Amino acid sequence: MLNKTCKIYFSFFSFLSFNLFLISLFLIISEKSLIIEFYLLNLSNFTVNFLIFIDWMSTLFMSFVLFISSMVIFYSSEYMKDEMYISRFIYLIILFVISMMMMILSPNLVSILLGWDGLGLISYILVIYYQNFKSFNAGLLTALTNRIGDVALLMSISLFLEYGSWNFSSFLEFYNLKENMGLTLIFIMIAAFTKSAQIPFSSWLPAAMAAPTPVSSLVHSSTLVTAGVYLLIRFSTGFSENTMKVILIFSLLTMFMSGLGANFEFDLKKIIALSTLSQLGMMISTLALGSYDLAFFHLLIHALFKALLFMCAGSIIHNFNNCQDIRFMGGVSKLMPLTSVYFNICNLSLCGLPFLSGFYSKDLIIESFSMLNMNMYVYIIFYLSMGLTVCYSFRLLMYTFFMDFNFISLNSIGDKSEVMLKSMGILISLVIFSGTILSWLIFPIPMFIYLPFKMKILILWLIFFGIWIGCETSKFGLSYELLSLKNYNLSSFNSNMWNLPLISLSMNLYPLSVGKKLYTSFDQGWLEYYGSQKLLESFTYSSKFFQLLSKNHLKIYCLISVVWFFFFFFVDT
Amino acid sequence: MANLPTGLISHTRKVQSLYKKALRSLENWYDRREVYRYYAVLMRKRFDDNACITDMRVAKELISKGEQELRSTAHWHPRKFPDSPGGVAYGREVPLPDWVLDYWHPLEKAQYPEYFARREQRKKEFVKLWEKQYGPSSGTPH
Repeated sequence: MLNKTCKIYFSFFSFLSFNLFLISLFLIISEKSLIIEFYLLNLSNFTVNFLIFIDWMSTLFMSFVLFISSMVIFYSSEYMKDEMYISRFIYLIILFVISMMMMILSPNLVSILLGWDGLGLISYILVIYYQNFKSFNAGLLTALTNRIGDVALLMSISLFLEYGSWNFSSFLEFYNLKENMGLTLIFIMIAAFTKSAQIPFSSWLPAAMAAPTPVSSLVHSSTLVTAGVYLLIRFSTGFSENTMKVILIFSLLTMFMSGLGANFEFDLKKIIALSTLSQLGMMISTLALGSYDLAFFHLLIHALFKALLFMCAGSIIHNFNNCQDIRFMGGVSKLMPLTSVYFNICNLSLCGLPFLSGFYSKDLIIESFSMLNMNMYVYIIFYLSMGLTVCYSFRLLMYTFFMDFNFISLNSIGDKSEVMLKSMGILISLVIFSGTILSWLIFPIPMFIYLPFKMKILILWLIFFGIWIGCETSKFGLSYELLSLKNYNLSSFNSNMWNLPLISLSMNLYPLSVGKKLYTSFDQGWLEYYGSQKLLESFTYSSKFFQLLSKNHLKIYCLISVVWFFFFFFVDT
Repeated sequence: MANLPTGLISHTRKVQSLYKKALRSLENWYDRREVYRYYAVLMRKRFDDNACITDMRVAKELISKGEQELRSTAHWHPRKFPDSPGGVAYGREVPLPDWVLDYWHPLEKAQYPEYFARREQRKKEFVKLWEKQYGPSSGTPH
């Protein structure tokens, strides 16, 4: 039996999502956008207004977010069935969706900050939903990294005062032509990097996998992490060429690092998280090269197949009694055929198999990227990362679905959970068809791409190479020498995300320890002694003295007359 | 923390412990059963070859070398069962300790009179049993 709260919000969100999709269709066709302004407070010439910006991009994004969240709520009704506080869980997801709406619809930095902070806070609460030490550590890492982004956004708000308004969308392009907005937009870039987990803020995303799987499916794959990309898209007209280059380098590095890391990882959810990181890097690098509509296109499609990928992973984890290690798995395709089909379709879509949704966005991105005149470093990293995506996907497929069964013999693994399968079944149709539909909608005029044959075929070669390497790395034989053990230092470096967790920890640790020292020695030490305590002491002392003076004692009169006597005596002389 | 070395550990136990850790480490690297078995047999051979060493200086050095090798080949992501310490789901579901019920408000307790009456009775019986076994309690609270 479905939980009542789940049922209500599933139907409400689906309904809203469908309507928003229709509105976005209307806005695409009519090429209109709408700004609604609410006056919240009006005191003489001081006004506080709240803006809502509705264009095809925001409505389409919102419809996708709502659709995925409705499916996730439906899915959670079975996945989280045994939880005592499932309603609390659902309400948290709803709060999360509301924060997301706030962020998507705002053209104003202050209201974006409200949504942004809401996302950070609720994602923290969702990460620590399971109350064990792993979750607490992961939650703290998530929250503290996201705080850096919040502070960056606050700084940019204060710098935006210089331009007279926080409604950036109306004047961003104008100011960018007139003067340098460098520092302001660098803060926006930092904020987006923390949310989208780009280098050097990447370590929180794999750690956040301590959250329940439906949360990973909604928050850590399709919505929260794309908030940073969305922010960059909204500000894309303002960035200077040099900032774009910095963004490109960092995003490419993230893409490469996470692709490599996923090949050395054994946790099912972490592999998918690293894959998300790699795709985010790809979106941001596309954005940095100037095609923000392509980045948005990939963002939407990625949201769909990654949400489903996590749902399938959740279903597998559920069946394996919370076991997430792929070394325990194997042969799942025989035991859970339907889930395996869904999982494989998503994985192939991620690799860009022709006519699945991922193909439409990735192929366009790669080919339009190939047409640019970029330097060799960018080309090599980009293409290698594409190959690595295929490599870890096939490694995961081989490990989980096709190799020998490696779990305990007493088990009850199977496609039994009806509700979970239904929600995944609805999503799979979109994973297959949304690429075509969206490419017709967003790019009604086909892009003209001209490439030499070798360039055109290069990506195909890399994909086949990736498949071969992926299958080889998952193979085991008696004569097989374990390369990862042989090159221990290299593989351990790659599996630890190039030691980024250590850097993030020290990044957080250093200000925290300085803060502690300041607090103990300054706030509670010197300031307390010479500040509040000393003030109190001196006031008490002086008031006591004046009280004594005002008591009209004879000896005080005598003392005063003596003082006056001496005073006049010295003045006269 | 649970395994703090509080006493002397014999050489045999050190070797046994090293052997077990080595097998666990192999399990982390070679996750297919038949491959693991092959390498486990090779590992066993390495231990068996040195089983008859009677010179303690040599034996000690061998152990320290073995421990060094174990450390330098430790897997970055050891295989753990989800509910075991260090596993992903360890401590996820916290069973409430029994004494929480003692801190219920009397109004809350009043909703289950039969249960709490029997609970009080059983507590008394338990104290009696305990005192019978270990002698009278000092009466001072902890």
